[in-house]
Amino acid sequence: MSKDAAKTWKETLGPAIPEAWGREIDIFETQIELRKKGKIEEKLFAETRLRRGAYGQRYDNGQRHDGETTQTLRYPSGEITKGPVTLWDAPGMQRIKIPFGRMTADQLDVLAALAEEYSDRILHVTTRQDFQLHFVHIDDTPDLMRRLAAVGITTREACGNTVRNVTGCPQIGVCQTEAFDTAPYAHAITFFLLGHDDTQNFGRKFKVAFSGCADNPCGLTNFHDVGCIARTRVVDGKEKRGFEYYVGGGLGSVPQNAQLLDDFLPEEELLPMTQAVSRVFARLGEKANRAKARLKFLIKKLGLEEFKRLVLEERATLRPDPRWTAFLSDLHVTDEKPIRPAGALPPGPHAAGFDTWRASNAIAQRQPGYVMATVTLPLGDMTSDQGRGLADIARRFTGDAIRTTVEQNMLLRWVSEADLPALYDALVAIDLGSPGASTIGDIVACPGTDTCKLGISSSRSLAAELSRQLKDSGIADDPNARGLHIKTSGCFNSCGQHHVADLGFLGVSRNVNGRRVPHFQLVVGGQWTKNGGAYGLAIGAVPSKRVPDVVKRLTARYAAEKQPGEGFAAFVTRIGKKTIRAMVEELQILPSYEQDPSYYSDWGDPREYTIDDMGVGECAGEVVPIVEMGLAASEREIFEAQVLLDDGKIKDAVSRAYSAMLEAARSLTREKSPNLSAAPDEVVGEFRKHFYDTQLFFDPYAGGKFAQYLFRAHEEHDNASTVEAAHQLIEEATLFVDAAHQCYTRLGSSLGAPALGAGVGPS
Amino acid sequence: MQPQKLQIKLYTDRATGISPEAFVVVFHGWIKKKLLPELMIDVANYAHVPKGPGVALIGHGNDYFIDEGDGRLGLLYSRKRGAPDAGQRIADAFRRTLYAASLLEGDAALAAGGAKVRFRTDEVQLRVNDRLAAPNDDATFAALKPELDGFCRELFGAPCDITRAGAATSLFTVKIATGVKSDVATLLARLGGAPLADRSLV
Repeated sequence: MSKDAAKTWKETLGPAIPEAWGREIDIFETQIELRKKGKIEEKLFAETRLRRGAYGQRYDNGQRHDGETTQTLRYPSGEITKGPVTLWDAPGMQRIKIPFGRMTADQLDVLAALAEEYSDRILHVTTRQDFQLHFVHIDDTPDLMRRLAAVGITTREACGNTVRNVTGCPQIGVCQTEAFDTAPYAHAITFFLLGHDDTQNFGRKFKVAFSGCADNPCGLTNFHDVGCIARTRVVDGKEKRGFEYYVGGGLGSVPQNAQLLDDFLPEEELLPMTQAVSRVFARLGEKANRAKARLKFLIKKLGLEEFKRLVLEERATLRPDPRWTAFLSDLHVTDEKPIRPAGALPPGPHAAGFDTWRASNAIAQRQPGYVMATVTLPLGDMTSDQGRGLADIARRFTGDAIRTTVEQNMLLRWVSEADLPALYDALVAIDLGSPGASTIGDIVACPGTDTCKLGISSSRSLAAELSRQLKDSGIADDPNARGLHIKTSGCFNSCGQHHVADLGFLGVSRNVNGRRVPHFQLVVGGQWTKNGGAYGLAIGAVPSKRVPDVVKRLTARYAAEKQPGEGFAAFVTRIGKKTIRAMVEELQILPSYEQDPSYYSDWGDPREYTIDDMGVGECAGEVVPIVEMGLAASEREIFEAQVLLDDGKIKDAVSRAYSAMLEAARSLTREKSPNLSAAPDEVVGEFRKHFYDTQLFFDPYAGGKFAQYLFRAHEEHDNASTVEAAHQLIEEATLFVDAAHQCYTRLGSSLGAPALGAGVGPS
Repeated sequence: MQPQKLQIKLYTDRATGISPEAFVVVFHGWIKKKLLPELMIDVANYAHVPKGPGVALIGHGNDYFIDEGDGRLGLLYSRKRGAPDAGQRIADAFRRTLYAASLLEGDAALAAGGAKVRFRTDEVQLRVNDRLAAPNDDATFAALKPELDGFCRELFGAPCDITRAGAATSLFTVKIATGVKSDVATLLARLGGAPLADRSLV
């Protein structure tokens, strides 16, 4: 065999991986090895992997109910864990951030390959424009990440208490109703906040969304921590760009509408203002009680005016950063160019199904002769083969003008209208030519009990069943009901965005006749338009197997009785919730288990229903103070320095040991000096000022000795050129980092440590 | 060349008429009764995706799919980790595939539900789920073919026609035309019957 079978992805991809991203992935791989050896504490590793997008999955505690009893899944790795109650070998989910859904054909090809080689050949699009791969082993994730990095995708901060994927209207730039193209702004804020010091110490996740207009639903800014709607204003005769800037929105169990912080935030203030919001959230947001830790709770506690005052006060103290405005000099960085000339739709007749598909799935662009084509994905899923096929179709018709959507579909932009019939034929050939995008049959669903640890009921199987029954009953084609939106969530956490649907469902469980029965709480009257402008309210819980009957009953009545222009929420208001409830009530009564046991299982799962498989969610991540993250990074660097020295790389070993000391010093000092940069002189100077001159760092017995190690290394590390000198520096770095740990322990909460007994684990 | 992540697909003798969803209950039963000598974890239903992985039985070392990936219904076995020693991998993959096929052929509930299956032995697909170790090119084919030739001759009792298939972007794929009308039980017996406990669990 002529091939070098031992070659790794790291070697193969080489310089195609951006250096900084490659280094991050190498570090993660080292952390995996250290965790396997028990040298990283499990909560710290959990947050570390979550920040790389590697998430837990159902049954990862090693327990699975088979319908009669709970069986133990005996993984070969035994008791090694990758987080609290999360076994090492248990398959997990890998979330892959796609900022504002924008992606290229080459990226789609790589995602398809990854789904095939590390997952189950399914690419799943989420409601926040990410991709998720399921049943992925943690050991495979570094190579998976390298292959993504080589095509410009990072999974950094896809989960955990971080800035999650920045979402945005997928039509932006070609949309009829936008004020301007927000894509370059979403791009800039994505990479400005990624890994930023001020976004590393949150008590909970932080979501940012962009929309080009206020009226449509594509950006869903109303339920984001930061929501930005494009606005223009004429100032001194010149049109100026800015944003309606909202804060504190969110769904979850306690949905909150975002509140207007600024009705016109100038474009040059977008990044610093968001940095200031991040700082206030990091400083004052709840850390111990994760159920109250999102930004919406902080704003509720402080009041919007006080929150705004604090943010503006923080804004005034920020050290100026050239990145705040540098991106404004090139707002074309996200532009797309069509690869086919504009044209008119050829005269028919067209292929069977084309006209129906075009009516629901093609949207006219602002640019004459071009349309956007929505690729409807059932439950947000496509196969690896379809992914590759779609990439080829994009190359043929549109180039790299692909977006994921918050309705779990894909969007091809810049389709010449003259090509539309051929595009349809190509999509049909790979089974992606289904019509009905954004209609009642295009149901959004979170993973639910299929893979999520928090799932209570099977949102995906319900959505599949609803879609089938609505089609069979003809409701999906009824012009009066066709425009309704249905969304399903497996639990109250709202990942399926059920609050903003006309008919929303969230999984709950009920005791009936002494047995657990899967149910869904029916939520009606949500508003999908106006960026998800209003939230529906629960009417009552319905057994899972009766939900299709409920939907057919309600939609049929709406279709028959709706008044001209009346939306579903208005219809509900007009006929009254009591009427709705009465229509549902008789369907809430179940036969006994003996009469019909099918009601006691969920859709798509023949096992008798139980909630025993629910685990502890990782959505909230592990609250690990930023100091601890930094100190852990220092220890990892010392380990790497040792490896480098063993390999005879003296210079690299010295550099890494010195870097470890700087990282530890910076971790402590940043708590006293929030604007601290990573420049070594500044780190050492500020450390001296805050910790050495004050003697805070002094060891009770050794005094300032360990701090002196840092000062000496800072001055002299370039001179360490022998094995002995490198060895000594590594020893001193080890002692310095240990002293930093001791200092952190002594100073406790003044450096962001959790109060004793507050608990940082799952609650 | 000794690739670890082998995949074997056996086709059913019925092109249509069986919904993959019929196998959801079967696979849940396999987990419950521990019918396979390896750790099986969960069942994933992708029947809503045309020409997709159908219904997946997810394990630690191996997955099994009632697969429609190439538009044809079949049983797809996929080794993920913990492969046996070089020299035994192809035999182990076939043995696990044939064993799972034999369980499906003998499943009384499937038969009662009108979904009785029989697997063809005259045509088999083999893939390597690892683009780094085994890109779909002539060099990989040349490296693998001698071992495959020998193994197939022994298993099927006659030389087989082995051809490379699929695009360069696809997984390394070969079609094995055996020209032999045998049956699953006979072939499984030639490989020693039910597989031993998965090495990855030892």
